[in-house]
Amino acid sequence: MSERLLEVTDLRTTFRTVTGSVPAVGGVSFDLKANETLGIVGESGSGKTVLARTIMGLQPRTNVEVTGSVLLNGHQVVGASERTMRTMWATEVAMVFQDPMTSLNPVMRIGRQIDETLRVRLGMDRRAAHDRALELLTMVGIPSAQSRYRAYPTELSGGMRQRVVIATALACSPKLLIADEPTTGLDVTIQAQILNLLDSLKQQLSMSVILITHDLGVVATRASRIIVMYAGRIVEMGDTRDIFYHHRMPYTRALLESSPKVTNTPHTRLAVIPGRPPNLSTPHPGCPFAPRCAYATERCHVEAPTLVAASAPGHRFACWNPLTETDHPEAR
Amino acid sequence: MSDERRPLLKVRDLTVTFGKGAHAVSAVAGVSFDIYEGETLGLVGESGCGKSTTGKALMKILTPSSGTVELDGVDITHQRGRALRHARTRMQMIFQDPISSLNPRRRVRGIVAEPLDAWKTVTGEQRDRLVDELLNQVGIDPEVYGDRYARQFSGGQCQRISIARALAMRPQFLICDEVVSALDVSVQAQILNLLEDLKAEYGLTLLFIAHDLAVVKNISDRVAVMYLGRIGEIGPSEVLYEAPAHPYTKFLLGAALEADPESATTGAVLEGEPPSPLDPPSGCRFRSRCPYATERCAIEEPVLTEVAPGHQVACHFPFIAQ
Amino acid sequence: MSDLLDQSPEIEPLREQRLGPLFWICVGWLSLNVLGAIFANVLPLVNPLYQNYNAINAGPSLHHLFGTDDLGRDILSRVVFGSRVSLAVGSGAMLIGFGIGMPLGMLAAYRRGRLDTILTAVMYVLLAFPAIIAVIAVISFWTPRTLFKIIVVIGLASVPLVYRVIRSATLAVATKDYVTAAKVQGSTDRRILFRELLPNIAPIAVSFLLIGVATVVTLEGALAFLGLSVNPPTPSWGNMINESRTVMAQNPWLVIFPSLALCLFLLCLNFIGDRLRSYFDVTEVKL
Ligand SMILES: Nc1ncnc2c1ncn2[C@@H]1O[C@H](COP(=O)(O)OP(=O)(O)OP(=O)(O)O)[C@@H](O)[C@H]1O
Ligand SMILES: Nc1ncnc2c1ncn2[C@@H]1O[C@H](COP(=O)(O)OP(=O)(O)OP(=O)(O)O)[C@@H](O)[C@H]1O
Ligand code: SF4
Ligand code: SF4
Ligand SMILES: [Mg+2]
Ligand SMILES: [Mg+2]
Repeated sequence: MSERLLEVTDLRTTFRTVTGSVPAVGGVSFDLKANETLGIVGESGSGKTVLARTIMGLQPRTNVEVTGSVLLNGHQVVGASERTMRTMWATEVAMVFQDPMTSLNPVMRIGRQIDETLRVRLGMDRRAAHDRALELLTMVGIPSAQSRYRAYPTELSGGMRQRVVIATALACSPKLLIADEPTTGLDVTIQAQILNLLDSLKQQLSMSVILITHDLGVVATRASRIIVMYAGRIVEMGDTRDIFYHHRMPYTRALLESSPKVTNTPHTRLAVIPGRPPNLSTPHPGCPFAPRCAYATERCHVEAPTLVAASAPGHRFACWNPLTETDHPEAR
Repeated sequence: MSDERRPLLKVRDLTVTFGKGAHAVSAVAGVSFDIYEGETLGLVGESGCGKSTTGKALMKILTPSSGTVELDGVDITHQRGRALRHARTRMQMIFQDPISSLNPRRRVRGIVAEPLDAWKTVTGEQRDRLVDELLNQVGIDPEVYGDRYARQFSGGQCQRISIARALAMRPQFLICDEVVSALDVSVQAQILNLLEDLKAEYGLTLLFIAHDLAVVKNISDRVAVMYLGRIGEIGPSEVLYEAPAHPYTKFLLGAALEADPESATTGAVLEGEPPSPLDPPSGCRFRSRCPYATERCAIEEPVLTEVAPGHQVACHFPFIAQ
Repeated sequence: MSDLLDQSPEIEPLREQRLGPLFWICVGWLSLNVLGAIFANVLPLVNPLYQNYNAINAGPSLHHLFGTDDLGRDILSRVVFGSRVSLAVGSGAMLIGFGIGMPLGMLAAYRRGRLDTILTAVMYVLLAFPAIIAVIAVISFWTPRTLFKIIVVIGLASVPLVYRVIRSATLAVATKDYVTAAKVQGSTDRRILFRELLPNIAPIAVSFLLIGVATVVTLEGALAFLGLSVNPPTPSWGNMINESRTVMAQNPWLVIFPSLALCLFLLCLNFIGDRLRSYFDVTEVKL
């Protein structure tokens, strides 16, 4: 068996809407090893959620065109029927959504929701499922799981709900867990708890995790590799340290520099990226970042750069005028 | 240094209670602080700790159940009618949700001009000129966007328009309630810089409410940390971030994520969740999650005490740098 | 300050949402109804009360386009004149219902507090009464029945319903930050009610108004069917259908034409109400 759990090749997801076609994911290729945490970072609208849902085979079949290939543990996801996907969901791949309320049934006790999955997917009997559900709830750190088993989602806080969602996702021990902004909207202290939980579960169950976020801080210490997305494309990818310290793509740098830091002195002037991300429904021939890029040249406006290898293994970037090592004040 | 400065806003024992009887929630339970003229005070704390409620009570959008708010030496707590309307124009508030802050059925110019029209301070051509000037200042081209409807704008642009509207009456004091929380990092930086510029230009005093510690550090001269309706610690930003004296502040800072792979992740994580404000713990409100809690914490409520000039902490056992 | 300029070049214009041809057809048909009702006197129609004994229960012909009834009266003319009653009841009652219910609902939702508590309690008590039975009871005892009395009774009965719809629509808007922002800027309550609230609840109000008119017209029909509307021989769509019951077998035209008029009228109103609501729904237009 290959060591690669997930292989994504030239994946494109295009929505057909009344105002034209929207290439939400525009040619994305990457792979993921077993027991690895991959961070996907990008601003709102950069296509992170669409990418995740496409990998899950969750895109609706109407008005969406998906091309390319997603090999999940050797199974092709693109073009697979919903029935085929059903055999993969929960056991091969599971997803944690941003808003835990939308992925929990508000009128069903949380224990039952986990039971259900176990009984349907793994054919457990009622007793075994009940015990396993309790075990899972305890594993995700829900205090007094026995009594919470009978609680409804609305009776729980946001952090607790997200734990339940994680427990549900882990019910059938998937090999890949995709977490789409699992901590957005949670408090910092709760966010730290959830991220620690995901980390320890990953070790415990030796699964791979794709951690999607708009916050570079979330992936800085959790992911071994990072993909930076902009306007539906990968603009830079590589080992976490390479992305933070040796990035070559101006957008990655702008993203890093425009985020405020706890270590800054008060009234530090932040570097800003002028303008805002492009509208995907108007096609642009060149580099999607060109209208906002300080390094843009003529070429950038007419020809789209492709991913090329940097010096470090696995480090790739898409830019015509990449930053050089000397551009990094913080290079170590 | 703080002694020489004049407090623009004096808040004493501010309490806001929602509901009655057994369901009464003291969302803000006896909060006191000063905001000096020309400074930015950051207000941080977890969700539901009463930050927005404090801001709204200062603006008298909510009626405090007790306590006083003094603006420039004038008690505004009991003002009503026209006097209140007038006091409000000296203070302004910008809200978290940029989209719902603007009436979707009004045009940008109308929105920004609303306070001017309500007060009729300037009219006619002068008013139009002022509106365009305000829009220019926040980086919205009035020629291009002035006649669009608010619903046609992105979050960042809506926030700019809200800022222009808030500045129309030239307020002295501006409350920003999570104004960048809903925005992307790149847009967030634009708005933060804009606020700093306008603050200098208008000589504003700011209360900056946010849950993002990094954002607060970047913009505030002093920071107040709230927990369950109380202020746990207040002090100059650098002091508070360097050497937090309250256990809660320490945990909060420990949980803040640095965009740096080499930042320590080993910081102890605060366990559990904030208790329900319906039934706060006796004594110190942080007691139920505090690893340093003793019997005394359950009995005696800690009060804000000065541990260094301008640095106050409400804890029986604060960390004090030797 | 150049770095602060929002240089985003494009804001797309709003998606052009169209009302569609069917909407305009409906509007056209309704206008025709209204114009017919207003100008019935000057239109080249036979007197609706004139009984032509030479043509009793006659089918449609060139002379009587819709045929005649069992008393030899021209059905076309009666349908047109009958629309007067239906339209008057529908619009009159809704005028009263909205005239009272709308300001109360808006004020209660905006001011909240004791005013809201009391008003809402009263309205809910009224709503608990089965309105139709109350209307029937009042109308049947308050004789002689006139058009005016019917309008007043139905209008008053609709107040709690209007109140409830307008209050909840206003509540949804009144909690929005832009209303708070307006308050904070020192706008007066009147400005807030008219500038911020009214434009945002108007679409809901208009569509509810149209559907309300449709409901009242149906109600008038039902009252007429029970013999509780304007007294014959004054025609109304309702009492025409009612009278035709006995002669349905011999003369189906007598029931078909007023029913058709009523149905088309209701269909158009409901359709327009629905279309307008989604047309004005800003939230449906994505940013
Ligand atoms: N069903 C759809 N139809 C048309 N366009 C869509 C659809 N779903 C998503 N898009 C578009 O695809 C783009 C990418 O959206 P996506 O939700 O993946 O962004 P994201 O990176 O997850 O952003 P966020 O941080 O806001 O969650 C957006 O421009 C969005 O408007
Ligand atoms: N109108 C209200 N009625 C009843 N309780 C309220 C009301 N508004 C706020 N509360 C309660 O008051 C407490 C403080 O709320 P507040 O909105 O001030 O918190 P916050 O610190 O601003 O949180 P966030 O970061 O989520 O905005 C919460 O427990 C909340 O449930
Ligand atoms: S390709 Fe050109 S526009 Fe794009 S990031 Fe590189 S320098 Fe900037
Ligand atoms: S007073 Fe006691 S419980 Fe409260 S923070 Fe200090 S040590 Fe902890
Ligand atoms: Mg998303
Ligand atoms: Mg708040």
